[in-house]
Amino acid sequence: MNISAEELNTVEKKDLFTSGHRACGGCGQALAARLVADASGENTIACVATGCLEVFSSPYPDPSWRIPFLHSLFENAAAVASGVEAAYKALNKGPVNIIAQGGDGSTADIGFQCISGMFERGHNVLYVCYDNEAYMNTGVQRSSFTPYGARTTTTPMGNKTRKKNMPLLAADHGIPYVATATVDDFRDLQRKVKTALSIEGPKYIHILAPCPLGWGHHGELTVKICRLAKDTGLYPVFEMTDGKVSNVQKIPVKVPVEEYLKLQGRFKHLFKKGVPAPEVAEIQKIANENIERFNL
Amino acid sequence: MLKQIEGSYGVAEVVAMCRPNVISAYPITPQTHIVEDLAMLVGQGKLDAEFVNVESEFAAASVVLGASAAGARAYSATTSQGLLLMCEVIYCIAGMRLPIVLTIANRAISAPLSIWNDQQDSMALRDAGWIQLHAEDNQEAADLHIQAFKIAEETHLPVMVCMDGFILTHAYEPVDIPEPKEVDVFLPSFTPKHIVDPRAPKGIGLYADPRFYLETRYILHRALEKSEDTIKKVSSEFSKAFGRDSGGFIKTYKLKDADLAIVSMGSVVGTIKDLIDQLEEEGKKVGLLQICSYRPFPRQAIYEALKDKMNIVVLEKSVSLGRGGILASDVRWSFPRAEKKDRNISSFIAGLGGRNIPMEDLRYMVEKVEKEPVELEFLGLKKELISDKDL
Amino acid sequence: MEKLPLGLVYDLTKVVPYKTGSWRTLMPVNIMQTPPCTHSCPAGNDIRGFLRALAEKQSYEDAWHILSRTNPLPSTCGRVCPHPCEAGCNRRDFDSPLAINSSERAVGDYGLENNLEHKKLVSGRKEKIAVVGSGPAGLSCAFHLAKRGFKVKIYEANSEPGGMMRYGIPPYRLPNYILKQEIENILRLGIDLECNVKVGVNIPLDQLSHEYDAIFLGPGAQKGVSINVPGKDAEGVYTGVDFLKQVNSGKWMETGKEVVVIGGGNTAMDCARVAKRLGANVSVVYRRTRVEMPAITDEIDEAMEERIMFRYHTNPVKLVVDEGKVVGILSVQMELKEPDASGRARPVPISGSEAFIPADTVIMATGQAVDYDGLDIQKVNNQWMYTNENLMTSMDGIFAGGDAVAGLETVSLAIGQGTRAASAIEDYIEGNRESTLAQPPVVFSKDLNTYYYEKQRRFEKEAMSIHSRLKNFREIYPSLDSQEIIEESKRCFSCGLCFHCGNCHMYCPDSAVKISQSTGGFEFDYDFCKGCGLCSKECPCHYIQMTMEK
Repeated sequence: MNISAEELNTVEKKDLFTSGHRACGGCGQALAARLVADASGENTIACVATGCLEVFSSPYPDPSWRIPFLHSLFENAAAVASGVEAAYKALNKGPVNIIAQGGDGSTADIGFQCISGMFERGHNVLYVCYDNEAYMNTGVQRSSFTPYGARTTTTPMGNKTRKKNMPLLAADHGIPYVATATVDDFRDLQRKVKTALSIEGPKYIHILAPCPLGWGHHGELTVKICRLAKDTGLYPVFEMTDGKVSNVQKIPVKVPVEEYLKLQGRFKHLFKKGVPAPEVAEIQKIANENIERFNL
Repeated sequence: MLKQIEGSYGVAEVVAMCRPNVISAYPITPQTHIVEDLAMLVGQGKLDAEFVNVESEFAAASVVLGASAAGARAYSATTSQGLLLMCEVIYCIAGMRLPIVLTIANRAISAPLSIWNDQQDSMALRDAGWIQLHAEDNQEAADLHIQAFKIAEETHLPVMVCMDGFILTHAYEPVDIPEPKEVDVFLPSFTPKHIVDPRAPKGIGLYADPRFYLETRYILHRALEKSEDTIKKVSSEFSKAFGRDSGGFIKTYKLKDADLAIVSMGSVVGTIKDLIDQLEEEGKKVGLLQICSYRPFPRQAIYEALKDKMNIVVLEKSVSLGRGGILASDVRWSFPRAEKKDRNISSFIAGLGGRNIPMEDLRYMVEKVEKEPVELEFLGLKKELISDKDL
Repeated sequence: MEKLPLGLVYDLTKVVPYKTGSWRTLMPVNIMQTPPCTHSCPAGNDIRGFLRALAEKQSYEDAWHILSRTNPLPSTCGRVCPHPCEAGCNRRDFDSPLAINSSERAVGDYGLENNLEHKKLVSGRKEKIAVVGSGPAGLSCAFHLAKRGFKVKIYEANSEPGGMMRYGIPPYRLPNYILKQEIENILRLGIDLECNVKVGVNIPLDQLSHEYDAIFLGPGAQKGVSINVPGKDAEGVYTGVDFLKQVNSGKWMETGKEVVVIGGGNTAMDCARVAKRLGANVSVVYRRTRVEMPAITDEIDEAMEERIMFRYHTNPVKLVVDEGKVVGILSVQMELKEPDASGRARPVPISGSEAFIPADTVIMATGQAVDYDGLDIQKVNNQWMYTNENLMTSMDGIFAGGDAVAGLETVSLAIGQGTRAASAIEDYIEGNRESTLAQPPVVFSKDLNTYYYEKQRRFEKEAMSIHSRLKNFREIYPSLDSQEIIEESKRCFSCGLCFHCGNCHMYCPDSAVKISQSTGGFEFDYDFCKGCGLCSKECPCHYIQMTMEK
């Protein structure tokens, strides 16, 4: 599909995901879901995995979606979307934007099988992952996206493993387009969604969606925390087209990780009496590695 | 047209004539020939469908769920481990009222691993809200698929067509394969009730809080009960269209004057009929009640058929471990309390893991229950392999 | 309750959304606040307003109307005001403050070039007000009263109106034709002006009291005060005010080669730079240092650029006179000790450090006083006029403002006082108790979210070369590029007032910030707002604040 530069850069606000959902105040995922739905437009089918998004947006009888959505299980959003895409092909219907959406677990853990299969088979589906770095819906348990050092209910002493690099894993499946984005830069996010939807084949967009409850910060800081995640180097923002990294968002002024960590309750245990624990140095190392690897 | 054809291939040919739009299946013995044949038909252009080579049964079920929700006629096949893997999705499909047809090539469940036939797998999912139909032979297996699509699309309930793995799937029998035109007349194209479509946006898969969930379950239960009418209707329509009896709720064989009634389902019914004929020559009056629709459970029909039979034996290829015979339990429940008192309902478990059920074992079973009721017995149990110490 | 649909499949066009607004404990509200520029402006100008008109609508006309609501002399102020607004501008903490002064001038000049007219708000009131003095205080008071429909007559002692603007500020800072046009525009509201009438001398104040319902006194502080040193009455010695008045009246002053100006205020700077243009070598003698000089920084800088010498720590002891004419100054060096009553370091002479400075002309710009000739009125410290907090003097119905009341201040302060006095006069006439406008709180830079801005260069006005400047009395900043001013106005942060950036609208996770049908701005949908505070945090101008839920 060809898409003009003007269309690509227009900010969309259609409220195809609208008020009345039960997300916490300041929820990054709710914001992201609306931005994605609006960027995609009315001709969209959303296949949503179980998780915070599904639970707060699709209760009977007042769901907050205004585009058709299909929710099945926690781990099969990608497979269900594959089925919808196959049906549209078989019935000669469409074109239509099919967006499979899921959180940490649905993408990288329990849902990894389905997403890997969907990528490998080459379905024309966009998969959007809302990364809030834990299993938030079930009460903030650790996932493979939980960053090093973060406290969750199942890693009360701090997580000991590094974040799984899902964007690179997705790219290694040979899919044509991968991107990472955050909710603070809504122009960039919507542009990436539109770019993805203009490409045939499986696409993957990874969105950092801060969770005030799980990360331990005020709802009003959601946008600021995204910025700090980018500016410390902990969350690189880039695109990958046909496996090659492009459009890396460079950091104007690098910020030490403490500034990002100190705002969040889930890292509070690393700053007992104001003294940073050795994990903080390790986290800074991770940030530095990202900066070097992606040339931020 | 009559063909000497392997059971799987028969099913594949017939399913192809039902014009599914999306087929998605993951290979698992003994269902493999069905999916291979369908893949060939799609590949050769003889079947216009999307064949999705998924990475697991779970994905297969999810793909057909998505396809059906998008308005396609969807089909898959599995068995045993695969069926259990897609268990979550099976429940989901029923709750969403999507008219999907699934072939179950009944097979035993691991551990220990066994690729041979029993009916534990479809039993494990009897509560999921699907219609379950059991085929007696390859002809019925093929015919039931045509009926299944029609039943599913009229009742908005998914249908499992169960056929014994290897015994039916890999056996060559003469099967009358209908003409595609005949199938088209019998089975009109799919008009879905609710789909995801941007032109009329709907939400499928909303969650129900405690205010509503109970009612959804009640509705599904009632829908299953009501589907009895459709099952019977479609079976009789099939008879008229194709000129043979097939499917339906229950079937009986020489039951009317029988002193002993045997209740069973699946391919073993064939052997039982042979035994009944032999016993008849020997002067014994034994009859068969064959269950075709296991879900919805034909409680009333069983009661009507067996109400004056005081000696009943249930033979089944599954067991509820720690409790006993599943079908037997269902049959016992079919009689009101008052009418159970003098009635013997014996329970025999047979054929697990592909164990052969020879005529001798069946004779033994008949002779035993003629003397006394049997609470629970594993038919053909090799006691010499069992040590009571190592349990 | 409706019956459950098949498979619980729901028609999304029929949803009645759940009202999540009931969850709130905090709620966002729009609060317009005072930007620090307005807060710092002695005239209370709506600076944000006129800059936004330039930035958003590129409309000089709209900007002029907004600005002239409070300031009828924008071209003048845009040339002579020391712009405390820029010192207050929040952008100074981000990159550099807005060039408000230049913007004001550009807007004022546009008004003059396009003959924009002031509008009356009310007409036909019968009361008559007399205004004494047509300096900025008097003009401003007359302006506001005339707009409110009163009959106003201004009595001016000099032959032309303008006060110190006309006779004190030299033309290279404020060209006469600019001032004249602005004053004429004010008078066009129907204000009477009579010149060459000194109230107290030509007309007694009592007479005015009988004829008019109220009086405003704005005589300024136009009497030069010299320091008491021997020789101060010699030929060639002038007070600063007198010197400037003569030059500004068009008289050529023969200054000789060496001119010494004594003093450190704006008058001293003006005298020095005028003398320079008259062809002399000029030095300024001041007993403290630059830091303590009360003159506007820009003035001192420009004087230095014009190669005027500054002799700090220097005080005249006596003026050396030969045959009745001054030939020089005997001066002594000072050292600075602990602060005196004015708060500035106290200078003390160093004995034995006397020196002779040759001078053909000595200008003593060492102070100004109010000319109380014929005015019997209560004073403070026997210096400035006494007024209460409503700018009314000790005499009932007689109000005052400007330098005469506030001491040697600025044009903008005088304008501000004229405005306040006009309100006070209206209240007085109507018999109201003082009506005070509640001022919304001020927004400071710590309250802003400047993440969305990039550092940008500030507009800098271009001066004539020093060589060209000294040849004549033409304006040293000849013209301002109107497009550049518009670009500069876009740097305005609009502190405390929404400028439709749309952040709140886009960032609300609950889509609870909607475009208002009536105003075109943004309003909150309190049915769904959960009070998370993202809108408030991401509002760059602090217009949205969170308060407790009622």
